[in-house]
Amino acid sequence: MSGPTVPAPTTTTAGRARKLINGRIASLFLILALAIGITAAVNPRFLGGSGLTDLLIGSAVIGILAVGLTPVVIARHIDLSIASTTGLSAYVTLSIVVPNGWGLWQSFAIGAGIGLLVGTVNGLLVAGLNIPSLVVTLGTLSIVRGILYFYSDAGRFTPDVIPPSLIAMGLDTILDIPIIFWITLGFALFAAWWMRYTPVGRDLYAIGSNPPAAQLVGINIFQRTLLAFMWSGLMAGIAGVLYIGQFAFVDASAFINQELAVVTAVVVGGVNIFGGSGTIIGALLGALLIRVIAGGLVAVGVDPFWQQAVNGVLLITAIGLDRILALRSQAKIQRIREDRVEEQSWRE
Amino acid sequence: MAAGKASGEILLVRNANKRFGGVQALKDAKLTLRDGEIHALLGENGAGKSTLVKVLAGVHRLDSGTVELNGKPFIQGSPRAAMEQGITVIYQEPSLFPDLSLAENVFISRLPRKGVAITWAQTRDETKKLFDELGVDLNPERLARGLSIADQQVVEIAKALSLDASVILMDEPTAALTSSEVARLMSVMRKLAERGKCVVFVSHRLDEVFAVCSEVTVMRDGETVAESPIDKTSISEVIKWMVGRELKEMFPKVDAKVGATALEVKSLNSASEFKDVSLHVKKGEIVALAGLVGSGRSEVARAIFGVDPYDSGEVILNGQKLPPKRPKTSVARGLALVPEDRRQQGLFMISSVARNVAMEMLNRLSKLGFITNKQEINLTQKWQEKLQIKYSDPRAPVESLSGGNQQKSVLAKWLATDPDVLIVDEPTRGIDVATKAEVHRLLSQSAADGKAVLMISSELPEVLGMADRIYVMHEGRLTAEMARNEATQEKIMFAATGEKVAVAGKKR
Repeated sequence: MSGPTVPAPTTTTAGRARKLINGRIASLFLILALAIGITAAVNPRFLGGSGLTDLLIGSAVIGILAVGLTPVVIARHIDLSIASTTGLSAYVTLSIVVPNGWGLWQSFAIGAGIGLLVGTVNGLLVAGLNIPSLVVTLGTLSIVRGILYFYSDAGRFTPDVIPPSLIAMGLDTILDIPIIFWITLGFALFAAWWMRYTPVGRDLYAIGSNPPAAQLVGINIFQRTLLAFMWSGLMAGIAGVLYIGQFAFVDASAFINQELAVVTAVVVGGVNIFGGSGTIIGALLGALLIRVIAGGLVAVGVDPFWQQAVNGVLLITAIGLDRILALRSQAKIQRIREDRVEEQSWRE
Repeated sequence: MAAGKASGEILLVRNANKRFGGVQALKDAKLTLRDGEIHALLGENGAGKSTLVKVLAGVHRLDSGTVELNGKPFIQGSPRAAMEQGITVIYQEPSLFPDLSLAENVFISRLPRKGVAITWAQTRDETKKLFDELGVDLNPERLARGLSIADQQVVEIAKALSLDASVILMDEPTAALTSSEVARLMSVMRKLAERGKCVVFVSHRLDEVFAVCSEVTVMRDGETVAESPIDKTSISEVIKWMVGRELKEMFPKVDAKVGATALEVKSLNSASEFKDVSLHVKKGEIVALAGLVGSGRSEVARAIFGVDPYDSGEVILNGQKLPPKRPKTSVARGLALVPEDRRQQGLFMISSVARNVAMEMLNRLSKLGFITNKQEINLTQKWQEKLQIKYSDPRAPVESLSGGNQQKSVLAKWLATDPDVLIVDEPTRGIDVATKAEVHRLLSQSAADGKAVLMISSELPEVLGMADRIYVMHEGRLTAEMARNEATQEKIMFAATGEKVAVAGKKR
């Protein structure tokens, strides 16, 4: 037995691993269709009229935040400051745009700037000082919200003062799809591309998959991690502007406590909470799914207060399922190995 | 023997010196590598070969001496720089990225691109080509997760090829492989040599070395003691080179009265770690469990003590069966285990010396469930005198002590429990010569006091100097048992490397 070919088990497990990933996206679509179908069957109004449009409008903010968070989670980090940053971006943007009589483009520029600033601070603290991202972003979650409360001084922006172009963005559709969802989709496709086709994206996967090995092959972990947090911040900043369009009402508690919904979306969308694997499109589908379930619960007459609990159940189910699948495939690999060893010693 | 068109010298190490603390790891070591050869680098554990490999891998930097690669000085001290200069190291257990495809693992951090975008088809095709050249059937698109160690090594070798490495060092690559995987690796090594690469093979398996290598360099105590073409030497000559040193008077062995059997192990099995291990230790006896690092000795000790489970077999302590997986019961019945890695397993580094020494005695010292510092300190001072532990203050954290005194503290902790059977795992690793002799004296004294001592050691002089009886382990099985008077370094080494034929003193 000097065969340089050790065939079967490797290729089949390979196929299985690939299928698992593709299967994740496919099964998300399936669950999504199922959830929509069941809800629509119980309550036909869920899809009727502007139902679908409302669903997409409702998914835009959480969707773009999921797109922002995914590269961070893939790199084995977390960003809990995103919901606070969204609120800060929404409020501060309006506080500058409204008095100056500015419109859409200035709003996006300001929102993006605020998001990038918070993201850069997060990234520098995490990558530069090696403080765990959970600690850093838990801190900036409170700090950013605190700044917002101080800055707003109990103020608020109502539809009558918000620039009409922003309100229109939240209402209008192109090809029946809301403009704010187009924006989310655009960023999602861009992020999906760079996570797949550029060294920055691939390095983030490598860092999350095996950090010491990433160091050994000379990946610039500091720079890549910083970029991931800047991206997450940028998306949170843009999300703030989308938030203005969606709600046409902003005060200091805008989007408060929503960070865990985004984490849930990302994890439900198949991004490994321990880093290394997952896709942007999966995370976006995850965001859609939790919005469908939230809307669906209301449509079938469940008290909306249950929504948080349902998100929690989704989060644990998604992680639990991954864990079970991983354990099962590991056991399988172990069995294959033992069979091979046994075969070996038998030959000897 | 091995194919290849050996020609020019490619890597020269001369007068290499490297010191770690009190240990001279390399002493004027030299190494000469030529392209197209498969070169064995041999030596006992601690002979300096790992240090030399790490210097070439860019992990360590020499204190003095020269390394010349392709006629140019080799830039030391950076793994990445070493790789870029054409030296790649394949470790026993490579660390790949489990979530990435094999192709991406091969080309990680230098994936082929067109503009900014990575060209995945090209990555896949080039990886496939490398796998084909190596004659292995692996799918470049599968994920690395769950890949066998042998296949992981192949991925690393493909990476070395893609980097156009001229020297490929393999650090004990076969230790975790099955025999058909070893055969495949050997064929890969020959292919690499045919392509003009220099392959360095670090191994303890001399049969493999003689099957595949063309040159051999032997190290001992940090020095290069022999360099020879493989067909001009023999296994027994190589073993002689590896062990050939005199026994120093470091082993104050006291004759003890040997009594009844204290510890008996009957055909202990653990699926992945060891098979059919039977041994016994009598009161007053020091029994050595010799073998190479990784042969399963520590695992046996941990199973006996009850930290790790075992699949079948029995452990009998003082005539009574010891239940598996009950370390607490083991301690209560008079068994003590001084682990190999004192920093990780033996001590609470930031706690005081006294707290550590008293750790196993808390139940016996406490009154109504409470224990005072004073009780801990009294106990510690008693053992300090017996063991000559040097510390400024019993309340000082144990990490402030030297390695030797840390080791004595662990010994004190276990001797304080007054065990009948003492298992010590590599009791003198990483401590200086003087303290070594003291630890030996302590073990000898314990045996003279009627304790049974089972000593795991990778150092042959220690085994020969201390043990009344010696078991040798090789890849999870006992391969030899010999009495003190019939043991020699050569015999132990033969048994430890699995060269069964020549083990004259083998019983069973």
